[in-house]
Amino acid sequence: MSTSTNVSTTVSTPYIVRFTGKQRVEHLVTMVVFTLLCLTGLPQKFYGAAWAHRLVSIFGGIDVARWIHRFCGWTLAASTVFHFASAIVAIAGRKTRLTMIPTKHDFDDAVATLKYYLGLRDHGPRYDRYDYKQKFEYWGLVVGNVIMVLTGIVLIYPTVLARFLPGELVPAAKVAHSNEGLMAFLVITIWHIYNAHLNPDVFPFDTCIFTGKISRERMEHEHPLELERLEEGGQTGRTVAPHARREVVG
Amino acid sequence: MVMIWVGAGPAWAGIPAEQDDCLGCHGGDSSMTMDLPSGEKLGVYVDSVVFGKSVHGEILRCTDCHTEKTGYPHDSKPFASKRDVQVAYYEQCKSCHFANYTKTLDGVHYAVMAKGNRKAALCVDCHGSHDIQRASEPRTRISQTCAKCHGGVYQVYAKSVHGRGAEAGNQDVPVCTDCHKAHDILDPKNGALSMRTPEICGRCHTSEKMMSKYKLSTKVVDTYLKDFHGMSATLQRATKVDRKNFAAVCTDCHGVHDIQKSSDPGSHTMRANLVQTCQKCHPGATKNFPDAWLSHYEPTPQKATLVWTVQLFYKLIIPFMVGGLVLQIALHLWRVVVNR
Repeated sequence: MSTSTNVSTTVSTPYIVRFTGKQRVEHLVTMVVFTLLCLTGLPQKFYGAAWAHRLVSIFGGIDVARWIHRFCGWTLAASTVFHFASAIVAIAGRKTRLTMIPTKHDFDDAVATLKYYLGLRDHGPRYDRYDYKQKFEYWGLVVGNVIMVLTGIVLIYPTVLARFLPGELVPAAKVAHSNEGLMAFLVITIWHIYNAHLNPDVFPFDTCIFTGKISRERMEHEHPLELERLEEGGQTGRTVAPHARREVVG
Repeated sequence: MVMIWVGAGPAWAGIPAEQDDCLGCHGGDSSMTMDLPSGEKLGVYVDSVVFGKSVHGEILRCTDCHTEKTGYPHDSKPFASKRDVQVAYYEQCKSCHFANYTKTLDGVHYAVMAKGNRKAALCVDCHGSHDIQRASEPRTRISQTCAKCHGGVYQVYAKSVHGRGAEAGNQDVPVCTDCHKAHDILDPKNGALSMRTPEICGRCHTSEKMMSKYKLSTKVVDTYLKDFHGMSATLQRATKVDRKNFAAVCTDCHGVHDIQKSSDPGSHTMRANLVQTCQKCHPGATKNFPDAWLSHYEPTPQKATLVWTVQLFYKLIIPFMVGGLVLQIALHLWRVVVNR
């Protein structure tokens, strides 16, 4: 890629491309599939409730709902595998920086943020490409996906599992699948909806993951360390990583 | 018109039926019959002693049921056969027993009759006619009544844990009608009945009072519903009308008429027979597979340790996780407000 970083300060609303097309598509797929999984999965957990029966009949019965659930489950599994396969290729080819890996710095940031919220500091920490909340949500989703996919496969093929392993793993997988699913639903509806929609900083809708673009103003506020590095990199012409080789366009 | 007052025995003296004078002819000669075109002889003798002791003896006059026989001589309807007579009198019970009559219209016997099978049971086939007694005295009589036609099923039932109990005079065990109902009997073949077994079996098997006598668990329905089969069946019942691919219900594992204690070597749910039972629906089931089902036990640290541990883990982590995130959101909002 030959695009050089180009910062414009003359135009009133400069923006930075924060997410690649692949990342945006991945988010979109996860969003749709996750929503469908919740809509077809939660009624199975709360099968006694009237809303659960209504929801299931909207899908055309439990058999159809289950088919959709499994289709979405396999899609999520495939997208998770694809995500990591491409990440491994990118890491192996040194084409990316490990911006998503949690470090001690993130822990310090979390403590600093809490101190700031509580009024023990004058300002919050300055973040790089991903702040600790985003890393937490990303890794929560990754771990959740792995648990959900593995336990889900056990629930689709219980007899196959019992051929090699103790049968008790099946009800254990069911308890894990059901509770992990509920937790994922709660974390997303509470935490993600807050951070992407209700948070006063982005209210009503943080469009960044859909358009890929973020304003320079928000970058200064939310990811100043990345912005500094981007602009520095642009000035020196140094190519760092695909997502760091970002245009900063006026 | 000839009036003959038959004997003055205390049991039937002055029963209402005698006031119609019918017994003058029909109460005398016990060999009195009528020839039918089918070649059958229809007995038209009524034993006033038997009728007097029947449930209707003190209440009904002959013409209450034989409404068209208002005078003498009376014409006979052109019945071709005995069955024709019984079918024709099906309607007569309705005028008093309207609720039960209406129920029979939803029953499988009526449906089969409507399709043209004239052997399907009518009121009189189960209850009798002039000798009607309370159907449930004693209770075992009910199953024997059904056995008159359903002999094969009765033989199987009689050997089951319920049937043996009933024969021994146990009043708790179910007889045919407890599960199948008496009048609005569901067709057991289309699965509507088996789809209801968690409720049907649950009526007794969740009763602490009854189950404590036999040291049986009352959690069997709850634990069933919490597991995959029960959850699926609950959701399927709302949308499915047939049994195809329906999740397992009580009878799929325990058997229907041949239910035995799970400690009985003949039981489908006895440990040694369990894999075979699972294989009915899970063709690939091997010896570990039955452990996937917790045998109606709630997970405890002793039984199903792994399941219990996973359950406990989520019971702790979900409130911790959600609580932590909500707290952080609250703190953030507070900071935003303070900054303004």
